[in-house]
Amino acid sequence: MKKLDVRGAKCPIPIVKAKKEIDQMQPGETLEVLSTDPGSMPDFRGWVQTSKIAILKEQRSEKDPGGQEVFVHVLERK
Amino acid sequence: MDEHVHDVSVASLLAKIDRGDPLLVLDVRNDEEFENWKIEGRRGVQFTHIPYFDFIEDEAAAMSKLPQQHGELIVVCAKGGSSAMVADLLRQSGVEAKNLDGGMVAYGEYLEPVRIPRAQSDPVGLEIWQINRRGKGCLSYVVACAGQAIVIDPSRNITVYEKLTDPAPLKIIAVLETHVHADHVSGGPELAARHHAAYVVSGGSEFDMKYSATALKDGNTLTLGDVQIRVLETPGHTPGSVCYLVADRYLISGDTLFTTSVGRPDLGGRTADWARSLFHTLRDKLSRLSPEVVVLPAHYAGASEIGANGIVSARLADLRHRLPEFSIDTEQAFIETMLRAVRTPPAAYADIIRTNLGSPAPDAAHITEWELGKNQCAAGTPH
Repeated sequence: MKKLDVRGAKCPIPIVKAKKEIDQMQPGETLEVLSTDPGSMPDFRGWVQTSKIAILKEQRSEKDPGGQEVFVHVLERK
Repeated sequence: MDEHVHDVSVASLLAKIDRGDPLLVLDVRNDEEFENWKIEGRRGVQFTHIPYFDFIEDEAAAMSKLPQQHGELIVVCAKGGSSAMVADLLRQSGVEAKNLDGGMVAYGEYLEPVRIPRAQSDPVGLEIWQINRRGKGCLSYVVACAGQAIVIDPSRNITVYEKLTDPAPLKIIAVLETHVHADHVSGGPELAARHHAAYVVSGGSEFDMKYSATALKDGNTLTLGDVQIRVLETPGHTPGSVCYLVADRYLISGDTLFTTSVGRPDLGGRTADWARSLFHTLRDKLSRLSPEVVVLPAHYAGASEIGANGIVSARLADLRHRLPEFSIDTEQAFIETMLRAVRTPPAAYADIIRTNLGSPAPDAAHITEWELGKNQCAAGTPH
């Protein structure tokens, strides 16, 4: 699985970068995006509703060792 | 090119809406955020909603959803980043567009001071400002006389209170709360400390208040030059809620009485008890004040409540006539009505109360998340 770390970045950066990655990937390949922006949760859900290239497989939030909340989005190339 | 040429401030956007300038707000947030909370002005706002990620996915398809004919185009998102990108894309395609600087966060924090028109009977030198936090519908007040000022229910961005002049800078001698707030983090402790002013919170003790704050009792009077401010204990929205009656004419009513409703008594888990208090506050205390009293609340629900003079206020006599809560005759019927109107509490209300009682505050970004959206302090419609 590919990884994209956009912790610290604000919207629109997480989706702009995720779209660029997905564009380069083969169908069936997956990408894990790490973000610290709480707004990324509804935004990724909204994006994949109309996206022709991305499917959202999973979303979760977890704490990193420093106690910072991290939002994880797992995407698959259509 | 100077990027600020393409930005518009919250103050300028609201002025355009209030004047009725032809404009279109392109809101690029996700569906959920757009449905929950939108820009509002004293006149209607024309919206188009196209999420920013639609522009990332397929720019041409997103562009084609824009109306062909529109006034000045202003793009809005949560914090101003995605809307700046969309405004940029639009300009590259030849569509003139501006970005709302700071987005909905800036909208939610913007404070607009409006001076309350003077009445002939006012004591010489009395000035009152209503500070309108338009994005949230929160109102705070500065009462001034003879160069001294008392600030009531300040928001946490305190510079607006410090900048008021009449005509010289005012000396802030006290900061008062009408109650412990559940919808916004108070700027009171910081403002009081910076100006070595007294900090007054009634009802803090019942919540285990950690700040050293004075509590006032019913009938206590504060003096500001020639102006007397009388404390009225008005339990209901919270057990410790008070109103401040300025110069026997202006009732700074906190969350006890609004211009279209009363304060909700259901945020403490003891709705019947608090509703009983509210019934007696309305009937036995506020109804006995002069009908000419001008009610100045801590919140409003919609921009239609802002009067032609820019102020949210109402004559007490009109509210007694207009609000159904005043015409319920018995304690039991009032309690039942309030119990039927119980609503889900706002998401972060418990965290906000804890912070306002003196627990360590999180960083500003966290508080911003807590405070997003409009206040929900009014009693609901019975269902």
